Amino acid sequence: MPRRTGFRHVSLKDLYIAGLVTALIYYLLAPYIEWTTEILIWVLGIVWAFLLFKSGLDYRRILFSFSMSFLAIIGFIYTFFILVLQIRGIPRALALFLLPLLTVAVLGYFKQNIIPTIKIKRLYKIHVPLKRRIKTTLYKLDPIMWFFLIGGSLVLIVFLITPVLLMLLNAFVVPPYVKDIFYNFERIFRPGSRYVRLTPPPGSSLYRFLPLKGGEKLLVITGVNYGILLNSMINAVVVTSVATVLGIIVAFILARYDFPGRTLFRILAMIPLFVTPFVNAYVIRILFGPYGPISAITDALFGWRIEIKSLAGVALAQIMAFYPIVYLNAYSSFINIDPSMEEQAENLGSKGLKLFLTVTLPLALPGIVAGSILVFIFSLEDLGAPIVFQEPNLMSYQIYSGFTTEYGIVSPELAALGFVMLFLAAMGFLAIRSYVGMRSYAMISRGGRWVIRERRLGPLGLAIVYLVLLPLILFTAMPQIGVILLAFNIIPPTGFSLQWDKATPQYFVRLFSDPAVFRYIRNTLMYATIAVVLATTVAIMIAYSVSRTKMKVITPTLDTLATIPLAIPGLVIALGYYYFFLALPNVFKPIPVIGEPLYKLLFPLSPVSGPNTFQAWIILIIAYSIRKLPFVTRSVYAGFQQVHHALEEAALNLGASRSRVIFGVVMPLIFTYILSGAIVGFIYISTEVSTSITIGGLRDDQAPMTFYMMSQYKGGTATGVQVAAAMGVLLILIQLIAILIIVLVFKQRYAFIGV
Amino acid sequence: MTRVRLENVTKIYGRVIAVDNVTFEVESGELFTLLGPSGCGKTTTLRIIAGFEVPEHGRVYFDENDVTYLKPYHRNTAMVFQNYALWPHMTVYDNVAYGLRIRKKVLKLTEEDIKKRVREVLELVKLEGLEDRYPLQLSGGQQQRVALARALVVQPSVLLLDEPLSNLDAKLRIEMREEIKRIQKKLGITTIYVTHDQIEAMSISDRIAVMNKGKLLQYGSPREIYFRPRKLFVADFIGRSNIYVGEVTGVEDKYATVYIEELDSHIKGVMVSDEVKSRKKVSVVIRPETVKLVEKSIGKMENLFKGKIDLAMFMGEKIETRVKIANSSMIIYIPNYMVVSPGEEIVFHIPPENTIVIPEITMED
Repeated sequence: MPRRTGFRHVSLKDLYIAGLVTALIYYLLAPYIEWTTEILIWVLGIVWAFLLFKSGLDYRRILFSFSMSFLAIIGFIYTFFILVLQIRGIPRALALFLLPLLTVAVLGYFKQNIIPTIKIKRLYKIHVPLKRRIKTTLYKLDPIMWFFLIGGSLVLIVFLITPVLLMLLNAFVVPPYVKDIFYNFERIFRPGSRYVRLTPPPGSSLYRFLPLKGGEKLLVITGVNYGILLNSMINAVVVTSVATVLGIIVAFILARYDFPGRTLFRILAMIPLFVTPFVNAYVIRILFGPYGPISAITDALFGWRIEIKSLAGVALAQIMAFYPIVYLNAYSSFINIDPSMEEQAENLGSKGLKLFLTVTLPLALPGIVAGSILVFIFSLEDLGAPIVFQEPNLMSYQIYSGFTTEYGIVSPELAALGFVMLFLAAMGFLAIRSYVGMRSYAMISRGGRWVIRERRLGPLGLAIVYLVLLPLILFTAMPQIGVILLAFNIIPPTGFSLQWDKATPQYFVRLFSDPAVFRYIRNTLMYATIAVVLATTVAIMIAYSVSRTKMKVITPTLDTLATIPLAIPGLVIALGYYYFFLALPNVFKPIPVIGEPLYKLLFPLSPVSGPNTFQAWIILIIAYSIRKLPFVTRSVYAGFQQVHHALEEAALNLGASRSRVIFGVVMPLIFTYILSGAIVGFIYISTEVSTSITIGGLRDDQAPMTFYMMSQYKGGTATGVQVAAAMGVLLILIQLIAILIIVLVFKQRYAFIGV
Repeated sequence: MTRVRLENVTKIYGRVIAVDNVTFEVESGELFTLLGPSGCGKTTTLRIIAGFEVPEHGRVYFDENDVTYLKPYHRNTAMVFQNYALWPHMTVYDNVAYGLRIRKKVLKLTEEDIKKRVREVLELVKLEGLEDRYPLQLSGGQQQRVALARALVVQPSVLLLDEPLSNLDAKLRIEMREEIKRIQKKLGITTIYVTHDQIEAMSISDRIAVMNKGKLLQYGSPREIYFRPRKLFVADFIGRSNIYVGEVTGVEDKYATVYIEELDSHIKGVMVSDEVKSRKKVSVVIRPETVKLVEKSIGKMENLFKGKIDLAMFMGEKIETRVKIANSSMIIYIPNYMVVSPGEEIVFHIPPENTIVIPEITMED
């Protein structure tokens, strides 16, 4: 509650004033002061906020406001990077503007969460003897629960935490003549390095016109190179923002308006979700090439041709591929809003955009950002678009090329880069996760099913839908359609034309007849099958432990660990596994007697064991099952949540042992959840790129399909492009069949829901 | 049959003390009810008895055996859950037979024996002929009976019922309540029943324990709880009550005169305990149905009160009125054949033998 202090209430307005003044002081003084003096301005912002907090500012507003809590979370990450990258000028002033808000948020967090816990502990002083406490904890765990809990944790500790820690450790490996252990990080964060280039090279610009042969002009859109680190961040932010706005608009129209052909629209809007690594980006490159169809349109309209390449091409390809993730999340958020919330607002006179911005969007926001953060992570770690558009100035490409150029030896600088990528992704993920967690009460309502609010569209609305939305949806589905046309040779591998007469199934025949090509298909199917079985087993163990035990620290940690692979870029896993399996054989070597044979047994797992002894397939299978574990776990966990704990207790109560309860009562009930989790896992595993082309690249006869596809598109040469496109079609088919099974046989919703 | 005894049982969930030092004993064959508002710890207590929770302090005994750390599947209790917890993938028959199949080896049962016992118990709960249905095909009342049958068929030493009637509609609830009481008496199983509905509790129980905020406040027969509450919370929670702050003025042996300032009058000849005598301020509880209307011309008589009707509500079996007296008001039930209207003045008698005096004036201890 706001308290009366002196002569007026303090309100959030004071917070903004504080921020504005601090930012202004900085902006005016910036040219004249050193960073030592600048600290004083930061202190001013913090102290001001502290005083406001002390005089009774209602900090809960920040927690309960949908937009402010979001702003605070993003603000933390933003400010952190402004400081680390030593960015000055207006961006830094913006950070200072946010400073008071962030300070109050931190103070409020402490007041709300930390202090009461300490106080209550002091107040109650409930003393339970340690022996009894242990006995109480142990009582809850049957042998099978122990097995699940320890087994699940062990898998995650060995194959997730250890590799990532090893990568981190290697990031601190510095050349012998350097004393500073942060050397690798400093190389990345130093302004002016190839990682951070605050002033882009002279002559670089977002777009330029070039003359073409025959007097035509060509508009080339490239994007500006701000250095590897900043490029990745800017690209991810741009892709996420555009994808989010696009996703929200499409979702809202499809969720809330009724018009002829809506179901078809919905299906079309899902098409970009079919993952066809590399090929789709390649098709986009063709579409936006100087002689592609888009150029033909601009040429006819404005008299110039267009080419989108480099960073701009990457961003475009990623937006088209990832926006349906936001769309799906936003769609389900919109239909999950209790209509009475909006009806009440209408009842009070709100309508149109006002209604949307004040009620609908805030209520849907948690679900939407859950999708946005996935886009952010996918964009950071994406390799398909950078490889096809040959854009090396991105973190993902750098890490990838580190694997390929120096065979067998990955430099510590790469480990540091991997760590920065992990930090970005994981911070964003955890922040959004806590934000969504805080906001989940928003959907509490009277329960029961309701009729979704739907409107018929007027003539203007219909015109917009058919003239703007339809082309947009069709356009984003182009890459997948293009992949099919390419595979049938209707589109030639270079240039652009539609040659229906030359259609041929010969590339599909080659997929299965050419052993050098079929090998990759066989590898993918085999690895995916084994990995899915492993992942499902681990998922059941973890999901059951998490949903049925309530142990402090352990249960929530396991829960987070099982979800966190979502936030760990595949390249980080690849780097981690590289170091992990490099070290693994040597760990056992010193042990007497069994040491030597174990070393010999594990040596083939070491990436430096030689191109013919290295067993990449084992590492790939483990990497797949850990990377895609969250998708399987989520489905299985949803299953366990469906089973009310009383159903289990009733069986325990009647004398059934725990294993009998799990396998006799629970499993049959959630069988469909487990199977659909496994199928979702299969889809994601068979289309996995990052570890496939890095670890797989170290032993290409054991590599999967995605590696083959990458190798065909990498240089843009036209050798196996169409065979690889046929592979893309095969992947689409696998995904289509899997989704149909989930939706039609198991009657479950197939969704790509984040967080 | 089994006696159940809880000794100083305390259960803590993080910052909350769910069950606070609770001690009671359930006699063999008795129907014992834990009654209290939601969140009072009654369900947690039941779950401790079933073995789904372990207390941080205290012990649980079945007869003379300490079962505090015995796993739920070794306790031979049978619980009926609030949401029935019927397995939706099994038929009624499979649901009911489940417990028997688990015990098949120990009890040396054949499939035939199981069939026979399931048929018997389904007859007992009047569900013959529904063996092959799935739970979701049944009505709420039928599901309830299946849950009861599933618990009863294993002949448990203790039957635990967790708000078993709360998901049923009002009429069915009364019917099932009678059914449960009939079956429990017939089989003579020690039964612990949890409910927040005081009427349900009083109608069905041999003894009731009233709980609030994790503490067990009082336990005894329904009559004892109703007529001789020892805590203000119990008096307020059970039945309807008019509660006033009073002062003990004159004590004669076991009887006393209490002065109620709000009503500006005395009630003479109220039975009081020794504890009450030592207190200056006490609570005086008057049940609305104990008050009797008298003719205005009755003349001199003790404990007569005069008041004006403020509000009258016809409830069917009675008329509930709020009567203004001095600076306060009192709820009084009037026979349903009378016709009263607001503003009317009435005279009534408060019988001292039905007036309850409690030696505390707040709900807190």
